[in-house]
Amino acid sequence: MLTLPPVVQPLTTTIPLAVKRSLELELRRRLGDEQVASDPLDLYVFGKDSGLVRGEPGLVVFPRNTTEVATIMRLAGRHGVPVVPRGSGTGLAGGAVTTGPHVLLVTTRMNRIGPVDVENRCVWVQPGVINLDLSIHTTPLGLHYAPDPSSQSVCTIGGNVANNSGGPHCLAEGTTVNHVLAMEIVTSDGDVLSIGGPAPDPTGLDIRGLMVGSEGTLGIVTDVLVNLLPPPPASRTILLAFPEVQNAAATVSGIIANGLIPAALEMMDQPMTIAVERFANAGFPTDSAAVLIAEVTGHPSAVDAEAELVRRLAVSHRATLTRIASDEAERKRIWLGRKSAFGAIAQMNPDYYLHDTVVPRTRLVEAIEQTYAISKRHDIPMLNVFHAGDGNLHPLMSFDASVPGVMERVDAAGRDLIEMCVAIGGSLSGEHGIGMEKRDYMHLVFDEMGLDAQARIREALDPDGRLNPGKIVPQGSRCFDFGRPPPVGAWV
Amino acid sequence: MSWVTPHAPRPDELSSCIQCGLCLPSCPTFRLTGLETASPRGRLTAMSAVAAGSPVDGRFEEIMGACLQCRACEVVCPSFVPFGRAMEGARAEIAAQTSGIDRRLRRLVTARLLRSRMAVRLGTLAASIAQATRLTRLAPPRIRGNVAGLRPLKGRPPSIVGRTRTAEGEKRGVAALVAGCVMDAWFGDVHTATVELLAAAGWEVVSPRGQTCCGALAAHDGWADDTRKMASVNMAAFRDVDLVVVNSAGCGAHMKEYDHWVDGGEQLASRVADVNEVVAEAIADGRLPRLSTDGGLVAVQDPCHLRHVQRITDQPRTILAAAGLTAVEIDPNGLCCGAAGIYSLLKPEMSRRLGSSKAEQVEATGASLVASANPGCEIQLRTYLSQLGHEARVAHPVELYWEALQRAERRAAVR
Repeated sequence: MLTLPPVVQPLTTTIPLAVKRSLELELRRRLGDEQVASDPLDLYVFGKDSGLVRGEPGLVVFPRNTTEVATIMRLAGRHGVPVVPRGSGTGLAGGAVTTGPHVLLVTTRMNRIGPVDVENRCVWVQPGVINLDLSIHTTPLGLHYAPDPSSQSVCTIGGNVANNSGGPHCLAEGTTVNHVLAMEIVTSDGDVLSIGGPAPDPTGLDIRGLMVGSEGTLGIVTDVLVNLLPPPPASRTILLAFPEVQNAAATVSGIIANGLIPAALEMMDQPMTIAVERFANAGFPTDSAAVLIAEVTGHPSAVDAEAELVRRLAVSHRATLTRIASDEAERKRIWLGRKSAFGAIAQMNPDYYLHDTVVPRTRLVEAIEQTYAISKRHDIPMLNVFHAGDGNLHPLMSFDASVPGVMERVDAAGRDLIEMCVAIGGSLSGEHGIGMEKRDYMHLVFDEMGLDAQARIREALDPDGRLNPGKIVPQGSRCFDFGRPPPVGAWV
Repeated sequence: MSWVTPHAPRPDELSSCIQCGLCLPSCPTFRLTGLETASPRGRLTAMSAVAAGSPVDGRFEEIMGACLQCRACEVVCPSFVPFGRAMEGARAEIAAQTSGIDRRLRRLVTARLLRSRMAVRLGTLAASIAQATRLTRLAPPRIRGNVAGLRPLKGRPPSIVGRTRTAEGEKRGVAALVAGCVMDAWFGDVHTATVELLAAAGWEVVSPRGQTCCGALAAHDGWADDTRKMASVNMAAFRDVDLVVVNSAGCGAHMKEYDHWVDGGEQLASRVADVNEVVAEAIADGRLPRLSTDGGLVAVQDPCHLRHVQRITDQPRTILAAAGLTAVEIDPNGLCCGAAGIYSLLKPEMSRRLGSSKAEQVEATGASLVASANPGCEIQLRTYLSQLGHEARVAHPVELYWEALQRAERRAAVR
């Protein structure tokens, strides 16, 4: 939204016009005009992801293969211009927003899916492949890609790797890091590296694990070997409704305490349910304080018993509705409703801020109560949707940024939310990444040594700060702080 | 510079987009290019940039011009962004703020010639002579594909305008058939089927004099004043009927949105129905029969303005099933075929890629019959199917149903 001032001020740096022109000319010559955009309107359109922060890239490039990515890295490096990778631009933390007039490297044209290795259940995919397209592609072979972010119909595998994305079904199956076997990356110098392999446990240091979630600050992923899973033999999706949010939270704890790990355990509060129901007609009861969606998967003989256990637990916590989806169509409708939550809130107000924090599951009730208190204190309506099974909260603030003073209140409410979650033993981010949004909160969960260690890793892989600068690690994280002079020609 | 017309994208329309990006994969041009600037979200962002003061320049025109206006994005938008309305507004701004021979030519065709029955009939005569003498081979490359996709034309086709067909059985009311511009001259068989089926379903069918082209193509190209004029003319012409029936999906979609253009436009818009809706309802009521004959496979192509704008998908399938045909699906996502009004002439490369892939999907179904309820889609499908060497017949669902009914009657008469 144009009227919206960024919550986090991007770094402002400049690149001399002559340097920019020379780089653009070189890139156009090497990649072709179709692969480079530099019109002010294009730069504006590519200046944002789905979050709040706006930047303005100096150039946008659309490489088609690893060689072109390496070319871009080398040319940009020679000109001292940093490079920021971007997929479909559905991130919420500003990870793909440039902090200066940098080169924005868009991966959407690298969308080839390799031949599926059915026996070993894996496939090489390029970073621009859309998450859901991969599963659609492999479904006829009886396989699917497990991590399912709510934006899965849009978001790319490259973005998932960068943010170690999760999703409703990651409770039982793990997040992206558990499904990436190997990758090819282009380093900040433009070298092509191969990391990991088809074996589940890589030899030596687990660089693969380090790369996943690094938000494009350690290298540009250009090919990924992902794990595929067969669909569960049977599944039951259960829709539950409760008179109080506390009942729903207690049911979540009860389910886990009973030794069940459902494939998904999702909660929505009443305002969220109302907004979603208007779009999806999923049959969510709009008069209940909280709705819980539980999905159990496994052997056909087991799922009915588990669904019944979930139902009984819910009833013991005063559930007013316990409905097991009768067919695949009803199941799909329930999930469509859940996954539309984010977009559906625009019906209320022109602006939103979707937050992402984590609390221990056992403190869920407390976290929700405090969220409501923060909402009240700052007079910012918050709708809640969360991956209850792993304590991942997504308070959604809904507001009109054109009202004077609102942004300050949103900012303050966001800070309170983070501090509250950290205070009760939680974390900064569940799955959206740190990006720019949470960069300056990193000190809440890391001490100096922790930040220094991360800054050192970055420095080892990207000594000149050419990869996605200004993200994740706050400035001044190195203990000796800027002890090393920036290299000549670096505009970071 | 910003906006200069009252049709411009409104602040509330632009701010209703929260930029979640869920629209991206449903957009055919994003699918083909991978560009944010060729996506619904990117286009809205570009409109926002102009609203904030950016110029309506050549790049803005390119970004807006690449949109097919298929409106698949509206179906998946959880925020209900009125994208089609905003895009029509942006096009109106471009038309108002730019000039050139190309623009004047486009206005001449979409807003002037199509309104003139004389011009359409002259064009039809010329095209029919070209078809008969095989001079169509000499058509300029840009329109050669489109010409190849036409049905065999009559030099002086009979017009539906001014005719009346009395209702059979108990009369339900008066239904006016929208003659349309090219529908009347090039798709006479679709009109005949429509009239006969409506009459059999109990409607007295008229097609009033004084009606004109619906104005959809002019609206999509930004000729706002002409669009308003055409809407007003039709509002007067169709004032006194109970139902306004359209058998071209694009025209029906536009007429259902006359309230975007004229005060009181909803007065006509609320009476507009696509022929698929009316016929399917009559079949459901038992006023029209269901045949049990086995007519084989038919591939169903959903025109975007039927599926995404009018949200009509079940009705054509009901009609085809009643015709004894077995419907097979082409594309679960309903990506545009690339015809998109005059888009196939303006952006031939993008249109070709979409048309070819649609034709390949049709071929993969194995059906030798394709049902399409929109003239532009029909022409596009025929063009690209013939390029594949796939000799499938493309026809309107009501046409196929009417033919099946007639065959059944003849069989009954012989017995």
